[in-house]
Amino acid sequence: MKVDRNGEKMELEVNVKEQNGDMLVTVKGDVDLYTSPRVRSALVKALTKTSGGVGIDLREVTYMDSSGVATLVEALRAAGQKKLDFFLVSPSKPVMKVLELSRLDSVFRIRKDS
Amino acid sequence: MNCPDLRIQVRSEPRFLKCIRELLRSYVVNSGFSRDQAESVALAVDEACSNSIRHSYGGSCDEFFEISLRSDPAGLEIVVTDQGRPAPPGEIARRKADPTAPEEVKPGGLGLRLISEVFDEVDFRPGQERGNRVIMRLKRKSEG
Repeated sequence: MKVDRNGEKMELEVNVKEQNGDMLVTVKGDVDLYTSPRVRSALVKALTKTSGGVGIDLREVTYMDSSGVATLVEALRAAGQKKLDFFLVSPSKPVMKVLELSRLDSVFRIRKDS
Repeated sequence: MNCPDLRIQVRSEPRFLKCIRELLRSYVVNSGFSRDQAESVALAVDEACSNSIRHSYGGSCDEFFEISLRSDPAGLEIVVTDQGRPAPPGEIARRKADPTAPEEVKPGGLGLRLISEVFDEVDFRPGQERGNRVIMRLKRKSEG
């Protein structure tokens, strides 16, 4: 497990890879004010590396707060400006809960992968 | 005087938010609420604490905010208090503006909306010269 500059275990994993012409960002763990900047950086990077689309796999996200939601919204806007596709892949129950409470659950394109 | 069951001071560092959530989940379930309700309360209190860190203290990690927890037969009362910049008049209402359109999403505003969605009563009290207090209450729902 990675550690941050304080030597603390970072409980968020973020990976970026190309998949079928899209860039796929996979996030595992809690997305909050402490960890959401890493998700943001990964999405910014992914949006520069594709001419197709960017997806974010959220099936193993164990928690998300408004900073995580704002990160997703920011990516959606940035993708739109670049005329790229942006979609959520299999958002976990905590992710859907915060999107529903935020009334943003119908704003994102959602793909369910098995 | 209704004294809190727990009162903790937390350094204004985002890395401690996870600890706060775990404490809240445990306390809310221990107080007789469901795990679903505990998750919602943990989210809302995380938002209140995040607001203290980001807005009241401008991201400084050298300050402290306080969380107090109390439960009784009527329900839960959770108070988050900081000593930072008080929210200017009208800012709370502005930050709670309807974020249903993506263009309107602002992180602070969305947090306040989430808090209001989870709790039955929310009382935001900016101080005159310093600090903010947000009092959040969740009623016990009778069964049957």
